[in-house]
Amino acid sequence: MRFSSRVPQRAAFAAAAVAVLLPLSACGGSGGSGGSSASGSGKIDGSITFQTWNLKTGYKSYFNNLIADFEKKYPGTHVKWVDQPADNYADKLSADASGGTLPDVVNVSPDLGAPLAKAGLALDLDSDPAAAKYKKEYLPGAWQSSQVPGLKGTYAFPWYLNTGPMFYNKALFKKAGLDPNKPPLTYEQLFSDALTMAKKSGGKVATLANVPTIEDFGRYGVKIMNSKGDGFTFNEPKGVKLLSEYVKLYKAHALDPQALTATPDSAGQKFLTQAVAMNPGSALDLGHFKTQAPSLYKNIGITPQITSTGKVNMYVMGLMVNANTKQKATSIAFAHYVTDAKNQLTFAKKAAIFPSTAGTLDDPYFTKEDGTDTARVRVAAAKSLKTAVNYTPVVFSDQMKTELGNEVAKALQGKESPQAALDAAVKSCDQLLKQS
Amino acid sequence: MSSPTARPATAAGPVAGAGAGREAGARPASGRRFGSRPPGGRSAAPRARRHLPSTPWLFAAPGLVIVCAFVLYPFVSTLVDSFTDRRALVAGHWVGLANFTEMLHDDAFWIGLRNSALYMVVVVPALVVLPLLLALLVHKKIPGIGFFRSAFYTPVVASIVVVGLIWVWMLDDRGLINSVLEAVGIGKVGFLSDQWLLLLSAMFVTVWKGLGYYMIIYLSALANVPRELHEAASVDGAGAFRRFLTVTVPAVRSTMVLVGALSSVAAFKVFSEVYVMAGPKGGPAGEDTTLVMLVERTGTGLTGRVGYASAISVVVFVITLGLMLLVLRADRKEDA
Repeated sequence: MRFSSRVPQRAAFAAAAVAVLLPLSACGGSGGSGGSSASGSGKIDGSITFQTWNLKTGYKSYFNNLIADFEKKYPGTHVKWVDQPADNYADKLSADASGGTLPDVVNVSPDLGAPLAKAGLALDLDSDPAAAKYKKEYLPGAWQSSQVPGLKGTYAFPWYLNTGPMFYNKALFKKAGLDPNKPPLTYEQLFSDALTMAKKSGGKVATLANVPTIEDFGRYGVKIMNSKGDGFTFNEPKGVKLLSEYVKLYKAHALDPQALTATPDSAGQKFLTQAVAMNPGSALDLGHFKTQAPSLYKNIGITPQITSTGKVNMYVMGLMVNANTKQKATSIAFAHYVTDAKNQLTFAKKAAIFPSTAGTLDDPYFTKEDGTDTARVRVAAAKSLKTAVNYTPVVFSDQMKTELGNEVAKALQGKESPQAALDAAVKSCDQLLKQS
Repeated sequence: MSSPTARPATAAGPVAGAGAGREAGARPASGRRFGSRPPGGRSAAPRARRHLPSTPWLFAAPGLVIVCAFVLYPFVSTLVDSFTDRRALVAGHWVGLANFTEMLHDDAFWIGLRNSALYMVVVVPALVVLPLLLALLVHKKIPGIGFFRSAFYTPVVASIVVVGLIWVWMLDDRGLINSVLEAVGIGKVGFLSDQWLLLLSAMFVTVWKGLGYYMIIYLSALANVPRELHEAASVDGAGAFRRFLTVTVPAVRSTMVLVGALSSVAAFKVFSEVYVMAGPKGGPAGEDTTLVMLVERTGTGLTGRVGYASAISVVVFVITLGLMLLVLRADRKEDA
């Protein structure tokens, strides 16, 4: 049925124009321009938005008080706090960045901050005097954690650090004839103990539930990237050796058969059900063991992370200031306020995390044990943090993690040799790095 | 409104002719006069104003706006992006067919295509036949049949994530099914660690969850099958199986085509079941990744390759469109 000859033609033309032009406008909508040039030394007032990553559930009152204190200290300021769920945080940041709605102060890990910095959306703290003056307040390693290869500057205030011990099941160690008071500390000891455990249990008890990740390569002493930071090198002989050892573990069922599809949650579940003997965790997990697996809790052993370099892995969280914020001075002041020594210590006492400010780890809270397992884990972790390393390069994206995971799985299944698998992983990661 | 005689001399357009033309004594194309109207010009003028040419567009406007904003624009945008190297945070440049040629050499794409095609080949026949048999079972009006209909339909309304997790627990190395298999001496089966068993497990969950939905569609079709046909076939000596083949199947053939079309498109675009059961990596070494999972993995995140992911999406669209056309064509041939 035709309505008329003129109107539909016009309408069709308009619709076609909209259909063609809108996508074109969308194409040009993303990408940063490098941020505003105004200095962050202006007056601290006005409204800003502060975004955290899955912190509202457990720490609502802490952040409400923190914001109230900031607004009291700087009259005329208003901080709107938004919290995003744990899952798909990168997608949320991506959508906000593309839509120009990125909050003024954003909670990022180094790998999430790097693409934003490359797109010109993260403020370079080193080049802004108002922010650079705070540099000396933080641990040097923590400050450097948000530096991006190929870019000059630092792109986030260091916030909290985290590291955790390895938990192990003393009963399973004892059953396998291993000394429950001498858990493995290096990868060589781990491989030996794991093979013994698999042999003694007839392949029914695995020691590990996860395939090696980039952090394992780092802790084994493998060089992950070249010195320029423009290419990956984890296919070097040491990397091949590590993967070859994991292949032996997988064949002997010392590595859980479902490790190839495991997630941190599923691996934790395996440990809870005592199907695997060791699993990484944090002080928070002790509470879970106590309530969800009392029989495991009775036999829980706590040991430092497995490392052959003597340095454990640490995770770093930061607060990025949006380069395009209209309230640069207020945003810098707030990001510093949240991450200063006093507030980091307060937050650390509420959550199982560690401060990144210089000297705070010397507080008795992190150096003195009180006889509880929680304090023992905390003190040991704080001690290890003094030399800890973030082994994951900031440019190592989720896609790269998937490429490495897939190639590792092929090697474990015997579809490829460890050398061929790592060569393929490095090739894919290099290609992704060039495209990023 | 094809008849030129319906077009009024002064009215604003052909749509108005429906009213104004009737005032002039014109008949609609069908030749049937609509309801009588009071004579006189007073009532005709306001009626003509109410039927301006833009009236249908105004009625259609809300729907059109929604379709343009949420269907047409994303579709055209995806199409345009597929010819660019756009990334999540970087505007793209026109790269012509580069994304499509890259796809030809991308192992992950071929793995995704293989798995999506396999999914369709296994799942679609099961979802065309099994719900029909189930519908025949619950079609009979016997006491308590409502309970069974509801029970079969329950998985449809359950969340796919919840359903997937329940099956993951059941198929786990230490889950219910492996415990039973071990108890009867078969031993553990790596449902969640073997690439093919994992894919088959996900297919099973898709079929299990979809049975109730398609069963309802078949039930409505079965209700329209004349009982006399069955009675006549019985009188002629046809048994239950023969009646099924010669009466039921021809009667619900168009519904089977519909179910085939719907389930093939859904199976080719499978995501949730495989994502939940095989994990975000897509199973061991990513060997269980489907095309839609590949789109998600490639195009999301801060470093997502939106252009390349869009190109894969366009391929998925073309294939699903082709599937629909094939099914429709097969149906028309049967009709002919």
